[in-house]
Amino acid sequence: MSGYGLRHVARMERIKLGSVRSTWWLAIAAVVSMAAAGVGVGLGYRSHTPVATAAQILNNSLGGAILAQLLLGSLGVLVITGEYGTPMIRSTLAAVPRRRIVLAAKVAVCGGAALAVGLLASFAGYLGGQLAIRGTAIPAASLGDPSILRPVVLTGVYLGVTALIGLGIGAIVRHSGAAIGTLFGLMFVPMIVAGLFGEDGIAVGRFVPLLMLLNSIAVTSPIPGLFPGWVSVLLMGGYAAVAIVAGGLLLRHRDA
Amino acid sequence: MVSGLSAGAGLPSVEEVIELRELSKRYGGRVAVDGLSVRVRPGVVTGFLGPNGSGKSTTMRMILGLDAPDHGEALVGGVAYTQSDWPLKTVGALLDAGAFHPGRSARAHLAALAASNDIPGSRVDEVLGIVGLSGVAGRRAGTYSLGMRQRLGVAVALLGDPAVLLLDEPVNGLDPEGIRWIRELLRGLAAEGRTVFVSSHLIAEMALTADRLVVIGRGRLLAETTVAELAGGGDSLEDAFFRLTSQATDYRGSEMS
Repeated sequence: MSGYGLRHVARMERIKLGSVRSTWWLAIAAVVSMAAAGVGVGLGYRSHTPVATAAQILNNSLGGAILAQLLLGSLGVLVITGEYGTPMIRSTLAAVPRRRIVLAAKVAVCGGAALAVGLLASFAGYLGGQLAIRGTAIPAASLGDPSILRPVVLTGVYLGVTALIGLGIGAIVRHSGAAIGTLFGLMFVPMIVAGLFGEDGIAVGRFVPLLMLLNSIAVTSPIPGLFPGWVSVLLMGGYAAVAIVAGGLLLRHRDA
Repeated sequence: MVSGLSAGAGLPSVEEVIELRELSKRYGGRVAVDGLSVRVRPGVVTGFLGPNGSGKSTTMRMILGLDAPDHGEALVGGVAYTQSDWPLKTVGALLDAGAFHPGRSARAHLAALAASNDIPGSRVDEVLGIVGLSGVAGRRAGTYSLGMRQRLGVAVALLGDPAVLLLDEPVNGLDPEGIRWIRELLRGLAAEGRTVFVSSHLIAEMALTADRLVVIGRGRLLAETTVAELAGGGDSLEDAFFRLTSQATDYRGSEMS
């Protein structure tokens, strides 16, 4: 086929993503925040009685994902709002007038990068926790154990998907501050709302990102009433798809 | 060759021109462009003149498919720009001096855009040399002066060695030396047979740069003429321009545009 395609546009997006400092700061901060949370949790449990279980250590040492999701979500937002903040978007859309390809390339490149960073961050959280409990009576958690490996991997995937939700919101809102505010709101407000339902809260709560993360994805065994971890992650992927499709429709029809 | 571009490659055929057919655009209740029909020929610099707010920038955005016309169409070489196989190799455009991410270096900015149209990396260094930014290409573009930003915009326009160039107010912010540089660059590009369409609200500058003139006001075509014809009426070029646009100027006196 003659003419440009996803391959060319993805190369453009890769150069763009790697050539601004905010990308690197956000990625490093995501990994460091998870590693630090893991170490903090491990140190805190060292002299704790009764002796913590392997599951306790693992569940808590992935808690840095609460912060990391906001950092990687912001990374996704900035991939698109960073262009609308300046007329850069016009340079991009003049070079690639087929806007769906631009969005698809951003999804592929940003999603891939965020997935890699998310997995790295998640393993850093796990590792931080394990290193901090060495030499204590607390049992080590081995990645050879599927119930340990699963939450670590799913948390990494969850973080990658969060960036895509950010990307979709960025395409809809177009303004960095407003889009990041919207993202944070969507991450935290539903959790508060779910709390208002009292006893029935869990029926609503199992659809809420942060509750899914803390009770279904980043835990060795999900709390009863919540979906299995992989279903929760798929649900997150569904949210990301809705945001991106909505953003894509708007991107196609709006003047740049 | 002033442009440093490969002559011969991409030389436009006669029909490879910009053609606007009944182009119209309104934003809310305000008419920006109103039934504009214009043909821009290759081989000469065509100046696109009009007072502030007359629809020049909107027209240029519609040629590039950035804004969708409400009515009519804009064609480049007979096809809509959005259908180009290689957009940057078809039309090189300078729309805004700040159309880059301030945190990204000029070289990375050019490399990214080049990648999207499969333009080799060596071309990035070439255009940096042509616009005189080679020495500062690694610096974050946000630290550039307005004149350097304009030069970076020109580098983007030249990136694909296009047969058609579209420049919106390229001399804004340039010092006298930069203005002369742009003028000679544009005339050189036209002399190579390219189509050069350049907007300005500065009649005196256009008189020195352009051969043909398209004059608009309130989004309507007021005149398609040449510099020689416009000045031939006896009065100065500036007076002739004011006479032409006097009925079509939205903002006057103390009003800000």
